[in-house]
Amino acid sequence: MRALHQVSLTLKPGEVLSVIGENGAGKSTLMKILAGVQPADSGEIFVDGKKTSFENTRAAMDHGIVLIHQELNLCDNLNVGQNIFLGREPRKLGIVNTREISQRSEEFLKRVGLSVSPQTIVGRLTIGKQQMVEIAKALSVDARVLIMDEPTSSLSSKESASLFELIESLRDQGVSIIYISHRLAEVKRLSDRVIVLRDGEYCNELIGDEITHANMVSNMVGRDISQFYNRTPHPIGETVLKVNQLTTPHWPQHSVSLEVKAGEIVGLAGLVGSGRTELLRSIFGIDRPLSGSLEIGKKTVQIRNPKEAVHHGIALVPEDRKQHGLIIDLSVQDNIGIAGLQKHANRFGFANFQRQKSDTDSMIDRLGIKTPSARQISKFLSGGNQQKVVLGKWLSMAPKLLLLDEPTRGVDIGAKQEIYQLIEKLASESMAILFVSSELEEVIGISDRAYVMHEGQLTGELDRSELNEESIMRLATNTAEHKEAKT
Amino acid sequence: MGDRGTGLLKIAGITTLLLLLWCILVWESPLSFLTPNNLENLLRRTSLYGVLGIGVAFVIISSGIDLSIGSLVCLAACLLALFLQVDYVPVGQVEVWQVRADASTISVAADHGFNQGDELWYYKDRRNKGLVKVVNIGDTELLDGKSVTVLTVEPPPKRDQDSREEKPLGKISSTFDVVNYDGKVAKLENSAPGLKHNDKILFVHGNETPREKTIDQNGEDNQIILTDEDSGLNADFRAVPIRKTPYMSIPLALLSVFGIVLCLGVIHGLLITRLKMQPFVVTLCGLLIYRGLSRWLTNDQTVGFIEYQETLGKVATGRWETGIQFMPVKVDPTNDASSWKLVWDSAEGAQMFGIPYSFFIFLAVIVSAIIFLNLTVWGRHLQAVGRNEEAARYSGISTHRITTLAYVLCAVLTGLGGVMFAIDSNSIAPSSFGNFFELYAIAAAVLGGCSLRGGEGSILGVVVGTALMQTLYNSIVLLKIPDELEFTIIGAVILFGVAGDELTRMLAAKFRSKEA
Repeated sequence: MRALHQVSLTLKPGEVLSVIGENGAGKSTLMKILAGVQPADSGEIFVDGKKTSFENTRAAMDHGIVLIHQELNLCDNLNVGQNIFLGREPRKLGIVNTREISQRSEEFLKRVGLSVSPQTIVGRLTIGKQQMVEIAKALSVDARVLIMDEPTSSLSSKESASLFELIESLRDQGVSIIYISHRLAEVKRLSDRVIVLRDGEYCNELIGDEITHANMVSNMVGRDISQFYNRTPHPIGETVLKVNQLTTPHWPQHSVSLEVKAGEIVGLAGLVGSGRTELLRSIFGIDRPLSGSLEIGKKTVQIRNPKEAVHHGIALVPEDRKQHGLIIDLSVQDNIGIAGLQKHANRFGFANFQRQKSDTDSMIDRLGIKTPSARQISKFLSGGNQQKVVLGKWLSMAPKLLLLDEPTRGVDIGAKQEIYQLIEKLASESMAILFVSSELEEVIGISDRAYVMHEGQLTGELDRSELNEESIMRLATNTAEHKEAKT
Repeated sequence: MGDRGTGLLKIAGITTLLLLLWCILVWESPLSFLTPNNLENLLRRTSLYGVLGIGVAFVIISSGIDLSIGSLVCLAACLLALFLQVDYVPVGQVEVWQVRADASTISVAADHGFNQGDELWYYKDRRNKGLVKVVNIGDTELLDGKSVTVLTVEPPPKRDQDSREEKPLGKISSTFDVVNYDGKVAKLENSAPGLKHNDKILFVHGNETPREKTIDQNGEDNQIILTDEDSGLNADFRAVPIRKTPYMSIPLALLSVFGIVLCLGVIHGLLITRLKMQPFVVTLCGLLIYRGLSRWLTNDQTVGFIEYQETLGKVATGRWETGIQFMPVKVDPTNDASSWKLVWDSAEGAQMFGIPYSFFIFLAVIVSAIIFLNLTVWGRHLQAVGRNEEAARYSGISTHRITTLAYVLCAVLTGLGGVMFAIDSNSIAPSSFGNFFELYAIAAAVLGGCSLRGGEGSILGVVVGTALMQTLYNSIVLLKIPDELEFTIIGAVILFGVAGDELTRMLAAKFRSKEA
């Protein structure tokens, strides 16, 4: 199978070009070819009208083309200056010239508007600042083309905003930027031009006013999606989870109280790092809460570890699918079956593999997991299908309460919609759902009710009728002065 | 779980290597390799080391490591020897606390069972010993807080003695009349206690050197048959019956050893899971601590099971006779480079091939380990935890408990290995017994396909890995390779084995990506 087939694009100086497409559309492959990470089977690259070819990243860098990876490529243990000049350290008599590193680093840090000392250890910086260091590093090799792959995926909206300002200022300095993102709002805001890829092929180009949300989505999916969030009314029942004055170890000064009812979809909005993930972790027993109590179905319970949480009918789909959600080297069946092994074992501790197989088959069927077989190793599945495997693991346990942490992160648009439909369906089967999302439209689109968090505190509760981007952002930043609308 | 295909491929690869080595040995040195004796030996060594290999495989699958195995083998062996230590205690012996020459008295512990007129055997050291007769039994009194009975005796002691510190002034015990003595058979007076096989009798008389004799069996009417004859003995001697007293019975001793190693395994597991210490560090400290403990407990003296030739010794050297007899012989004895054939006939002096008992223990361990790892919930959880502990925890698995379980299993199997090695060698030098065993075990596990990254490994692979290691060792002896190269060759084979394994993994990944 070809990841990419006969795609052409041109890039002018001082232009922001966005490349969008579903997962697997070939965006990453295209960028890898441009940055010299991976060679193309056929085709040509021209820089300044001259035909060139990139054997490796070094060659691309020499032409001023630099790729900034989705996962940052910085050494946590080194300082900012050392990272910027990593592999190109200025030397004096064979010894690394630290003074020159500091001086020249400061210049680049100034250009990206980052006010930290070059001596700061990179691991101590926030992800947003690390991203700036990465960009400073790119500028230090005289980059004329910056390729950014999902740069905002782990940034807070404040950090994103300053990144956008930086991108705009770089553009004004004549640097061209190729911007890859799933977040259409960002694409719309930044791009001069948008190229849409579909199934590894060039699909369409949108310029200026053509760059609208609806246009981009229909081009990416190849069909018109009028009703992306297809809501069906579902009855809301008794309270399933009640959290009373819970304090997590990460935010010891604040406590949180909330409740979720059967058949209710409750969103948990807020900026990245506002304590939402930590709250879910404490409910699920991964971190022991410092104080407070949980009520499951009107009974106060103590949950000291995930095992007890599962016993009480709670399931958590974690944010980090590859580290926490799945055992990526194991098969689909092993992953779906793992939670139920103990439950279905006989009294001598022997596992019930027939049960595991039938559970897996029914989940593959019910969730539409696209896999050649139940024995396929999970890492060879796409992000969306991996997420369905995680969901399948928990649905086979028939939980009463489903906790979802960024359930659609890194999932393509088609799978996203399937996940929304699944959430709707589970709610209509009277499962209680509490989900964390950083995407405002997602929270607005599927929640019956939403809580908003800011720095470890619940700053508000919004009913479906009150849900809009402005009301959420106001609570998420906990200020009345929030002026900038993010779309 | 997981890559079943690559797992099978690994086992197939290493099995091929093993078969190849066997072929080389059969080709190069058939006359010594194919003897029943050599094959039995190979089987026995594989069984002993294999138990350790399976133990460490559990820990490696949990993505940990156990470096304490060698020392723990030594500790288990030393503990077993100490628990089974045998003392020879004269029947009815009590301690002496004071000796008065002028009053002709001896003060003994109050719980004695002596009567007036009894002849007693007093023993302190080579010079202070002898037979005394009880003339009078005095009152019980307190002496330095101990309650003692004052015996008036004859002949009077040579000089006064007082016990200093807490040590008694020797011991005193009853003696019995030898009614008659004839060759190996001695008859004691009727009141003498019954004695059994392996108990002893000390014959004493006047100034003659006391003679200690071992009892073969007990006849009727206190007739006692000794193991050897002594022309110097006669019915004038008096007999001090001495009873063989083991510290613990065999089952209790085994149970105690397993109990102790189990606790050590739990401690390893708790330190690693609760205190988040690194397995390498915890078990490295274990390596040092257990070695030192073994040396201290035994006073650095070689210990063994000389007293247990007929029980434990039989298990160690015992074998199940298969009834198959064979031996390799040269077809033409005059030709040095001649071909050979196997003779399947007892008439030619062929030996019987027997399967050592230790192999059956190993077989039981293999079967239980395979069942545990693949069919039980805990085995599957162990594999999951080894692959990705966090994801396993997020799936509601008690990862701490599972990891601890791996260390407990390893420690218990190490204890079992230690016991098997101990009775097999019967001579345990605490400073060197079990040295490097952890490395042999880890090497066998790695050779057998366990990845130190965790989550990967099969019991069968470990078994074949152990067999390969032991065959290598065997071949160094048989092929007359210099001893000094032993470690070099074993190291090189492991290196090539694992490198080959990584190569096939890379090729498989490449193949898969091409296919995709």
